[in-house]
Amino acid sequence: MSAHAATAPTGPGPVRTRSSRETAIRATYYGAIALFAALIIYGAVSTHGFLTMTNVRAVLSSVAFVGMVAVGTALIMISGNLFSLAVGATAAAAAMIFLALLPHGIVLAFAVTLLMGVVVGAIQGFLVGGIGANTIIVTIGAAGLIQGVALWASHGATVLPPKGDTSFAWLNGHIFTFAVPIYILFGTVVVLDQFLRRSRFGRQLKLVGENVEAARAAGIRTAWVVIGAFCIASFLFAFAGLELGAFNESGSLLIEGTQTYDAIAAAVVGGIAITGGRGSVWQALGGAILIAMISDILLLRGYSEGIQILVKGVVVFAVVVLARLNRMRAES
Amino acid sequence: MSARLPEVLRFRGPALRPFLTLAVFAIAFALLPRYASGEVGTANVANVFTAFAGIGLVALALGLTMIIGEYDLSVSSTYLLGGMLAVKTGGDSPVLGAAIAVAAGLLVGFLQGFVIAKLRMSSIPVTLGTFIALLGLVYVLSNSKSINYSDLKVTLKLNEPVLTIFSERSLIALAIFLVLAAVFTFTWLGRDVRAIGSDRKAARTSGVRVDRIVIGTFMASAAISCFSGALLAYSLAYATPNRTVAPLVFATTAALLGGVSLSGGRGNPLGIGCGVLCLAILNEALAVTAAEPYVTYLVTGGLLLVVTIVDAPHLLRWWRTTKAAENLRLGFAGGPPAEARAGGAR
Repeated sequence: MSAHAATAPTGPGPVRTRSSRETAIRATYYGAIALFAALIIYGAVSTHGFLTMTNVRAVLSSVAFVGMVAVGTALIMISGNLFSLAVGATAAAAAMIFLALLPHGIVLAFAVTLLMGVVVGAIQGFLVGGIGANTIIVTIGAAGLIQGVALWASHGATVLPPKGDTSFAWLNGHIFTFAVPIYILFGTVVVLDQFLRRSRFGRQLKLVGENVEAARAAGIRTAWVVIGAFCIASFLFAFAGLELGAFNESGSLLIEGTQTYDAIAAAVVGGIAITGGRGSVWQALGGAILIAMISDILLLRGYSEGIQILVKGVVVFAVVVLARLNRMRAES
Repeated sequence: MSARLPEVLRFRGPALRPFLTLAVFAIAFALLPRYASGEVGTANVANVFTAFAGIGLVALALGLTMIIGEYDLSVSSTYLLGGMLAVKTGGDSPVLGAAIAVAAGLLVGFLQGFVIAKLRMSSIPVTLGTFIALLGLVYVLSNSKSINYSDLKVTLKLNEPVLTIFSERSLIALAIFLVLAAVFTFTWLGRDVRAIGSDRKAARTSGVRVDRIVIGTFMASAAISCFSGALLAYSLAYATPNRTVAPLVFATTAALLGGVSLSGGRGNPLGIGCGVLCLAILNEALAVTAAEPYVTYLVTGGLLLVVTIVDAPHLLRWWRTTKAAENLRLGFAGGPPAEARAGGAR
């Protein structure tokens, strides 16, 4: 809130200083990330059963889901609007809709599920970008509404795919030993990265995230940019939920698990600035791989779900504070 | 300070709004039997106060941080943590358990407040980390299971009716609200807290010890939230780990209904109390009419969105079709064409 104003670079200093400053920030920051990675690698090497093909496949399978929601969260974060707390609810609703509509054909099921994602994203994006409502609260409220509608439509029951339906089996298939959703994720990241690099939308997104007032003054229709970011993000949340529903062959509100926290943790750990304006979807993917590895190492070492959540929280806290410290050091 | 005085006076009008909202909710509730099945009596009023005791203090905790222009996401975890600690350590002495819960809250609050004040960080990323970490801690402490509280005498005593509509637990919650309201009204603290919320730089310049008050507010927030969790766990005789953000939804809606603004600088404990009562009445109305669970989700989620939209800083600006609406317009309703503006951005 007051944080940005207090740290804004003073005066129109020479361009060279600023860029060397940014290099300094980046160097220290990636140094810390490297240290962190070293810790993970140590954990990976010293944990029995981590470096087996079966386990690598399992980690990548969870990356396929976490990565999708992390990439969506990254877009919202880059647009300067923190993160969504409706990730899990959107994904769970998507899983339920997808499975419930399978009797009408997989194409329709896909279309309606993803359309739902885009529509709820557009509404939230309008509230946040159009009238300046707080992202956290809008997304909590949206999550409550989505859960309410899902409960109403499903009568509180778990949605199961029609018996003997194999039209979605390819989503759980494997190509060259890896699960299909991993290829979908990598494809999404490559396409989205190119889109953000080459399109006007991508550049506007960063400018809006960096300084929304400046972007507005420069004539960018900031509301549309934020709506766009939310639409793509929510589309990805819905896609992840759809895959999750196909994977579990059942859909209920409980399917969300720790998706929301994992998505935020992955984006933050990937080094995307929570204050907006900086980051790429590749970083979100990297963060998702790290988070999935941490979960897996803790799981293999026999730690409970509570410890896994605790460690993720501590990591988020540490990374956020570290990033801020580095920025302060570089700016002083 | 005199320059700020008119602004403070201007808030007097809106300060009455929470009370009017509460009156509307109360009257609607009293008229409920006329339009829907179900009866309304003193038992329902007692239920409203029980709900108030159960979660009202979380709204107070969150509301305090909102008044200084921050947002403490971690309240929904500290709420669970307080209950878990109290149940696990308060077996012999409930006061000791509550004290441990409050101490844990003070510690968490200090950590958060220190980082937020000294590193000039926005509170949401910081409290997000503690929110997730403490949620994990609650699962670890409880081994992912509900934990029962052994001393049933404490539970019975806390739930014992006082003056028909109150109980000991609701009186404790009300007392905390009233004490904080008195502090806000009769000491310099309330004025300084609001000053920090409306303009932190100006407050610093005019001699308000901003960092101390920010840290203090976060300590108070976490401590109140932990205590609230302890009180609830004692009165239910169990504490349970729970991943929903329902407490956060309730607390935010109550605070916004109670005249607190997300942009900071507005609101007081009495208003938040009114907001909590409004929601407690709403929940009781849903219970009286035997609404299905999904209705509760829809009503609470919808209400939160409505109050957020009303509170949104750019709503009026958008409504008056100035800048934000211009951003949304496709370029045909006056102003320079979209291409010209988008081209200028390159």
